[in-house]
Amino acid sequence: MPGVLVYIEQIDGAVAGISRELLGKGKELAAALDGPLSAVVVGQGVAEVARQAAALGAETVYSVDDPRLARYTTDGYVAAVRAAVDAAQPALILGGSGFQLRDLGAALAADLDAGLVVDATALQVEDGAVSAVRPSHGGNVLNHYRFAAGRPVVALVRKQSFAPAQEGSAGSVQSLSLPEVTIRTEVTSVAPKTGAVNLTDAAIIVTGGRGLGDKESYYRLIPPLAEAVGGAYGASRAIVDAGWVPYEHQVGQTGKTVSPKLYIACGVSGAIQHLAGMRTSRTIVAINKDPEAPIFRVATYGIVGDVQEIVPLLTHELKSRLGR
Amino acid sequence: MHIVVCMKQVPRDNSVKINPDLSINADGIEKIMNLFDEYAVEEGIAWNERHGGKLTVLSLGTEEWVEQMRRALAMGATDALLLSDPAFATLDPLAAAKVVAAAIRKLGDVDLIFCGRNSTDDESGAFAPALARSLGWPQLTYVGKVLELDPATKQIRVERHLEAEVETVSAPLPAVVSVIKDINEPRYPALLKIRKVARVEPPVWSAADLGLSDLAPAATLTNRVPPPARPKGELISGPDAASKVKTLVDKLLESQVL
Ligand SMILES: Cc1cc2nc3c(=O)[nH]c(=O)nc-3n(C[C@H](O)[C@H](O)[C@H](O)COP(=O)(O)OP(=O)(O)OC[C@H]3O[C@@H](n4cnc5c(N)ncnc54)[C@H](O)[C@@H]3O)c2cc1C
Ligand SMILES: Nc1ncnc2c1ncn2[C@@H]1O[C@H](COP(=O)(O)O)[C@@H](O)[C@H]1O
Repeated sequence: MPGVLVYIEQIDGAVAGISRELLGKGKELAAALDGPLSAVVVGQGVAEVARQAAALGAETVYSVDDPRLARYTTDGYVAAVRAAVDAAQPALILGGSGFQLRDLGAALAADLDAGLVVDATALQVEDGAVSAVRPSHGGNVLNHYRFAAGRPVVALVRKQSFAPAQEGSAGSVQSLSLPEVTIRTEVTSVAPKTGAVNLTDAAIIVTGGRGLGDKESYYRLIPPLAEAVGGAYGASRAIVDAGWVPYEHQVGQTGKTVSPKLYIACGVSGAIQHLAGMRTSRTIVAINKDPEAPIFRVATYGIVGDVQEIVPLLTHELKSRLGR
Repeated sequence: MHIVVCMKQVPRDNSVKINPDLSINADGIEKIMNLFDEYAVEEGIAWNERHGGKLTVLSLGTEEWVEQMRRALAMGATDALLLSDPAFATLDPLAAAKVVAAAIRKLGDVDLIFCGRNSTDDESGAFAPALARSLGWPQLTYVGKVLELDPATKQIRVERHLEAEVETVSAPLPAVVSVIKDINEPRYPALLKIRKVARVEPPVWSAADLGLSDLAPAATLTNRVPPPARPKGELISGPDAASKVKTLVDKLLESQVL
């Protein structure tokens, strides 16, 4: 029976967190489909990652190891994944929802004439058919889809949706060669982003808004609080547009979607476009002088007060209690 | 050179409702050009001003969208094309891309397509890659800078801005490019131009015009619901700021958030 194929992402030569989640969930979905769980690892020098994926529950890990795959290109990577799809004939192909995966997943789905769901937060198999839930409209709408059986489905999953697989089993690694392909794009350089902030990975985020008054206040109040809780710092669009903080830090409909365990909003009104990016945070703390501010409607804990007074007190209290 | 910009109309905010038939109800919410498409339109216009030729704004939507197409014309697009048909009403991004690909083939002379990184309502970001594959063209997604666009050598060189790195990539034309917010500063259309295009009616192509029939999506929408309400929060009270802050930290520590 057709099973599940997980696309393995790599971070510093190891299986990425999202891929561990997908191997965990994939095992359950494969069992429901009555098929095998397999994985595909693409790149150059990926033997170690392939071995790790096999230890994380994939029965067969297809490894496509080729110098032409040293860097991501749509043409090269689609061809490599297709080789694994041809070998495994999966009903469901799982991947993460990062930029590179969206580029790859949508292209692959188009080539395979498959079903596609991007940013899935839940996946299920019922009577041999895959169903998925994906948020749209800034998280205000949850769409439930059911895919027709008999056509493969590419599902790109939002991070932190499932529990990660544990090591234990020992699957096998099978090498596949990269099929004949013309790679039309050429990557001439790759540079780390200066001042890159991986907000989407942060467990704690402290965000500032226009209520801070000016740029100077933002930098005086927000990064120190973020540091006190070991978090990253974010911003509303109002202050990104005002030039206080780079766009990298923007949370919301046209910025980043985040889901940390703790989100502290300081002087942020909680406009619907802002809520779109952070409403699924586990615990939300809001500090705002206006008790009617919409941010309080989603806040777990709220303090009505002046950020200029509350934030330094909070930073100080946290520093002494957490011993940082 | 002929550049096409794919543009979507979206509600200004996402406080939408769900109709009993599961369609989205955005009544009463102002409609705007998808924010990322403003950047796509601007990029298209800037290159059109440099190299000449045509800049077509293309939408797969309803007559209602013409308002935003006119905005693109007022910004500086030279042409507009609307793909509209009752059969297009429930397309998924992959099928939408097939329809647009058919229109691009029919146009025949297109060198480059700009899209936005994603729509702010559907948010899939799948359209541009799917369009590129449907056309068999290379794709360059998440572009934060077009470094070079050479009509003579038919090459494009861009920066792709990913989560943690910037890639410089080149590709032969024709190609599909999706752009992010950082790429430029979209212009405001001048009042005079807005008036000039106020009555422009773009040509409309239907499914039959494009020779398309079976566009059945791979998935059926079985339900559409609002997200579960967040548990009711609490406003922390206390005699002064310091005691409120202390209570807050107590609660964060007790509930093991920290
Ligand atoms: C298409 C579109 C996309 C958008 N995308 C985004 C997005 O991605 N992200 C985003 O954030 N926004 C987005 N917005 C903008 C959004 O609508 C709001 O304008 C924005 O979020 C407001 O930012 P703010 O909360 O910092 O400012 P304001 O709305 O001005 O709120 C400031 C808050 O600070 C409070 N305050 C003032 N002084 C103090 C003080 N001394 N102490 C404590 N509190 C104080 C005020 O009571 C107020 O609630 C978008 C808008 C549109 C139309
Ligand atoms: N119906 C449409 N008509 C024209 N362009 C579209 C349409 N849908 C999507 N696009 C383009 O594809 C981009 C990404 O949209 P999406 O894949 O829906 O997130 C948008 O920014 C537009 O440039």
